[in-house]
Amino acid sequence: MNYFIGNDLFIMNSGTEFSQAQRVHLFKDMGLRAQYVTRNYNPLLAHNRLDLGLQAEDVLNMYDFFQGTMDVPRREQNLRLLSQIPLDEYHLIAHGPNKTMINEAGREIAKIQVMPGTVGLVHSITYLDRFNNPTVRENFDWRGFKSSVDYFHPDGQLAVQKFLNLAGKTVLEVTHMNIEGNVQPTMWKLLDYKGRNFRFNLEDQLFLFLLNELTAAHPHSLLISDRRDLDYVVASVQQAGSKWAYLHDVPLRRSGKRADWLPAYQPLLEEHRADFDGLIVATVAEQKDLRARLPDLPVIVAPDTYVPRGPKPINEAKRDPHLILFVGRLSPEKRPDQAIRVLAKVRETFPDAKLEFRGYAVDQDYLEKLKDLAKKEGVREQVAFADYITGDQLANVYEKGSVILQTSRNGGFGMNLLEAMSYGVPIVAYDTPYGARALVADGVNGYLAKNGAITDMAAKVTKILSDRKLWEQMHTAALEKRGDFSQANAETAWKKAMKDIQETASSDLSASLASKALGGN
Amino acid sequence: MNFFINASMPKQKSGIEHAELARFRLFNAHHVESRIVIRDWDPQLHVHAKEAGIADRQLIGMFDYFQEALDVPSKNIVTAELDFGVMNTHVQHEETRDLVFTARGQLVARVNLNDDRTVQSVELFDGFNNLFRVDHYDSRGFVSLSQWYTPDNKIGTETWQTPAGKTVLETFNKDDAVGKRQKSGWRLIDRDGTVRQFDTIERLTKHFFDLLNEAFWSETTPNIFVLDRAHLGDWGLLHLKRPAYTVFYLHNSHASDSQDPMHAILNNFYEFGMHAMNGYDAVVSATHRQTRDVEARFSPQTKLFTIPVGIIPDHQLAEPRIPVAKRQFGKMVVFARIAWEKRLDDLVRAIGIVHRAIPAVSLDLYGYADPSENFKARRAIEAAIKENHLEDVVKFKGYTTNIAEVENHAMMYGLTSRMEGFNLGIMEAISHGLIGFTYDVNYGPNEIIEDGINGRIVANGDYKALAAAILDVLRDPELAQHYSTGAYDSAERYSETNVWQAWQALLKDAQSKWPSKLQAVPAFAHKQ
Repeated sequence: MNYFIGNDLFIMNSGTEFSQAQRVHLFKDMGLRAQYVTRNYNPLLAHNRLDLGLQAEDVLNMYDFFQGTMDVPRREQNLRLLSQIPLDEYHLIAHGPNKTMINEAGREIAKIQVMPGTVGLVHSITYLDRFNNPTVRENFDWRGFKSSVDYFHPDGQLAVQKFLNLAGKTVLEVTHMNIEGNVQPTMWKLLDYKGRNFRFNLEDQLFLFLLNELTAAHPHSLLISDRRDLDYVVASVQQAGSKWAYLHDVPLRRSGKRADWLPAYQPLLEEHRADFDGLIVATVAEQKDLRARLPDLPVIVAPDTYVPRGPKPINEAKRDPHLILFVGRLSPEKRPDQAIRVLAKVRETFPDAKLEFRGYAVDQDYLEKLKDLAKKEGVREQVAFADYITGDQLANVYEKGSVILQTSRNGGFGMNLLEAMSYGVPIVAYDTPYGARALVADGVNGYLAKNGAITDMAAKVTKILSDRKLWEQMHTAALEKRGDFSQANAETAWKKAMKDIQETASSDLSASLASKALGGN
Repeated sequence: MNFFINASMPKQKSGIEHAELARFRLFNAHHVESRIVIRDWDPQLHVHAKEAGIADRQLIGMFDYFQEALDVPSKNIVTAELDFGVMNTHVQHEETRDLVFTARGQLVARVNLNDDRTVQSVELFDGFNNLFRVDHYDSRGFVSLSQWYTPDNKIGTETWQTPAGKTVLETFNKDDAVGKRQKSGWRLIDRDGTVRQFDTIERLTKHFFDLLNEAFWSETTPNIFVLDRAHLGDWGLLHLKRPAYTVFYLHNSHASDSQDPMHAILNNFYEFGMHAMNGYDAVVSATHRQTRDVEARFSPQTKLFTIPVGIIPDHQLAEPRIPVAKRQFGKMVVFARIAWEKRLDDLVRAIGIVHRAIPAVSLDLYGYADPSENFKARRAIEAAIKENHLEDVVKFKGYTTNIAEVENHAMMYGLTSRMEGFNLGIMEAISHGLIGFTYDVNYGPNEIIEDGINGRIVANGDYKALAAAILDVLRDPELAQHYSTGAYDSAERYSETNVWQAWQALLKDAQSKWPSKLQAVPAFAHKQ
């Protein structure tokens, strides 16, 4: 089995989750078994995986595993059809679309939260005592069953979480108590697992226990660690066939001539380096740099993303000749503020130019700052801060856009750019190490601007927008270049990568056998 | 079904438990089904109930009911069987507990043990040395109650589990608006999965009664709820969802001063019940006198019954009578707690007077000494003994269960209580042919003793009159035998047959009211 180790699947995912999900699809198409393993408790997981086209058997969540709820079909649980509420004693009073209260003789005794993105399905029920304290919160899974029960301390902080199997029996308990005066989780206790109890101080210890169980049950498994905060867990797994880490971003921080590992990469590249069989990166350039710095560790290249198979008719009628796109999280390191400044300059030539952001903001403050900036630049009307979307909805946006911007400080591969490219959208991106260079042939399917040079970027955008013929050429070149990133090519690359992985594993094995022989055991 | 409702069935029983058990045996003897219903949580309930002669089949603990643990096989749990989820623990044995440590010496649990070294409770610690939970084991060997602790080391949420480990009942300890931590509510997950929240245990208990009423529902016979402790259901029984026949049982004087039954403020325990009396189907007193007083004071519409709380078994009534001549002359006994309300120092003073005339008189006091106010009652008796130089005459005999043996050798029984609800002791005494002497005190003494028939009643507090009455009897063997025979005869009032007859009047009333009760409820009216 091939396990891709991550934290979670969100409603709004980052590139790492997309990459892991795409890899699962790719492996399945290649006839290889693969599962996306997640650690976090997430009652919306089944919904989120479907957004990424993943089936129940494609995802293995730790909590679902121990709750025995990995393969439960969805049953829509309307809050008004909950059999646990005696409607001959209590009234249900709706307060808008997201909240319904349970009233007993006019007093509110519980709050029902509606499952996000649904009409009237139950997400949680929080019972309230006569002092209006929350006493118990029952959390429902998106698939319609009661998944966990929370208790609270008198001050309202979480006290106990009980995770249930489908029969309602507690299979895992999490206790929240003091660590140096702060209330936080202090214990994960697995109950009656294979007839025994197991106590852990950290969630990651439980996760390690899970990974050990999985690798014991499936010998010779490959683990790919996709999340830097889980590298140290993967490092400790006992029985994996081999352990690799996929680097979705750039591990180096450069200042002048010096380059240091970013702190997040230190467990992988320093303390636990010996526990991994190698690293996987998306580009040859990154491979080259890492090999130079890590001569003792194999580094192989395999794509982070690809353009999935299947015809993709593009509706050119929708194209807006002066619409600029920015797709991705609105966070400081992505520098969306620079996109706003670029728009302001482009409008000197094209007053009807517009910018559309598609992505969620890291927080409301940052979003407000961007809006203020747009106002200050006199382009507030021309900048749309639009919702995070995926799939066909996002495809519609790519069909409308004439240029896509990439302003990241130190971008990785750029899944958004690849997607835009597959819809023939020319790219204007900053030239960062391992970044857009793999996707953009300067002057062919877009332009590379000097990192941080707003004026340069604005000029290049203006140039594309002013020359219809140039745009057509770049559009065609983009559609041709997407072939480089086809699924077929990705499969070839991963086949080779898997061969390298297996060879590394078998050479390790022969090396260890040899050392045993030498040791005379 | 006939439900007899009590708080617990402790090892040391009060008159209420004795009365309830006597009734329970009476119903069993007549093959009429009944259930002892116990409201409070008690992990030793099944041990105590078994000792009291209650089979699991006839016992319904409210917590057991919710925990699906009415009838589960017993097993002994010892420390070695506990699974803390920690590898390589070691145990340090102490006298009353076992301490469990990790291999590195960190405390995992304190296991508190019963006398037989089975597990009573387990205090659990997390990996950061916090006491996070205490598990309490039922005597039958499963975790019944888990108390989850707060970061400030107090009890937070408490949860009750089924023997299989499913949480079914929770109670919460939270701060109120002025920051006082108190029980803020209960949450119940019924067997069918419905979830209900209750502000108080009274509301939870009322729901429990509803469930019993439903589970034992019959359209031909009503369920009868006999409330033996008012606080458990005086409110709840007024609000049952379905009809039932509810009985409010007075085990004590309804008035705080039983000598002033018409005007004294009410006994706190019964204040609510007396005011809500017409909401119950029946109010039962143990004596005719109390029934009369309740009738006179409240003129209730509800039906009043007199049913003695004491029952003298047939085999006891059939025993050969012992003539006074064969008893120890002048021996008086009393079986009572050495407590303030029993006023036994008065009895000692009366004996003091008698003793001056007839030195052969003696008094044996059987019963536990009440420790309140540093054994005030016993000290008062000791003072009276000293004052009257009765050190060789009056003896503390402690507690005994061998009542028949003692009473078959004695001659008299004395009672100087301030007030009573019935007094099983004096009833038992007359059934053994003892001549009774008592103050004219409500309720029980002045009815069980019939003046001039089975003994003497004198004015309340007049120990000199009591002494005179005793002297009359001691000086007149014929009179003594007359009273003793009267005692044996008058005990018939409390025979199984007579008490059962009294119950049957109530059961008959319940049955005759049932059709109209059903008729009054839309859900059942059409079926009539």
